[in-house]
Amino acid sequence: MPRILDIGCGRKKYPGSIGIDMSSAGQADVLCDWERTLPFADNSFDEVRLVHIIEEVDNIFRVLAEVHRVAKPGARVVIITPHYTDHASYCSPAHRWHLSSFSLWFFSEHPGEYDYYAPANFKERRVHVELLRIWRALGFQWLINHFRWYRKFWEYYLCFLIRGKTVEWELEAVK
Amino acid sequence: MPRILDVGCGPTKYPGSIGLDMNPSTAADVLCHLDRGGLPFADNSFDELRAEHVIEHVDNIIATMEEFHRVTRPGGKIFLATPHYTDFSSFRDPTHRWHLNTYSFLYFYPGGMHGRDMWYTNVRMREVKLNLKLLKLWKALGFEFLVNHSRMFRQFWEHYLSFIIRGKLMEFTFEVIK
Repeated sequence: MPRILDIGCGRKKYPGSIGIDMSSAGQADVLCDWERTLPFADNSFDEVRLVHIIEEVDNIFRVLAEVHRVAKPGARVVIITPHYTDHASYCSPAHRWHLSSFSLWFFSEHPGEYDYYAPANFKERRVHVELLRIWRALGFQWLINHFRWYRKFWEYYLCFLIRGKTVEWELEAVK
Repeated sequence: MPRILDVGCGPTKYPGSIGLDMNPSTAADVLCHLDRGGLPFADNSFDELRAEHVIEHVDNIIATMEEFHRVTRPGGKIFLATPHYTDFSSFRDPTHRWHLNTYSFLYFYPGGMHGRDMWYTNVRMREVKLNLKLLKLWKALGFEFLVNHSRMFRQFWEHYLSFIIRGKLMEFTFEVIK
């Protein structure tokens, strides 16, 4: 059975996973302040999930470096977060970061000088953008998710009108 | 020869300047972390201080600007380049703590807040130049010329247009008042 870690699991822990959180109000199996160190050995997990949590951490690079450490080589890392044009990005005062679908580029295609900031290496397997229903019905979501150049054009010119909702990444831990 | 400090110089230091960065694999002459204590220079050490793509990363903008002000001589220049908050690049980097617009430094101008000085800081500087860059399409249509040549149009643009005709880069030049 694959070993799955759900970071910041809250009340809806991913089925079959080990949940880690700072609050005992949810379904966490492990309670700790996990932002600096994850209490697991290197190469422990086949999958690590961060659902609506990355926008709240103090230091995204430090957290992803820890995720990289506990992930097995080739492990799947799933990250879901609001797009910065969605109202949800601003609804919670705990949201420290407002992110776009290109915000994790440092980790997957970082040129030499950025190694200092992003020592962990991930391969971007899939990026998926969710839009509101009306834009989905008009085909914009399909365009954004099927053509990288269109996603870029959307981020530069359109996304304050045709607003994003959530961004979902599927990364692969490269070791 | 003017003494120039390039804060957050990265791999391409401004010619003739002293480079400062927290990352050792850059062209830095001085290694220092802006969020962990002040700049390692005496008051009024520089004629010009440059910080390109730095201010949007720091923990505390006011404390950082006060430090920039301290090490720059009276009448010296502070040059800042930073993304406008409507640009793609403002949200591309997960270390960008702040999303700024062309009025984000009014705090530091004499009488900057509706004719009164702001009380969060005692440090003052004057905006001597602001160059705003827009995306190619908007530049070609003349909007970049308008926002840079008319203060009134810039205000209208910030209030009404900037989510459609999106900003890109802001280049501020401040003159230090002491």
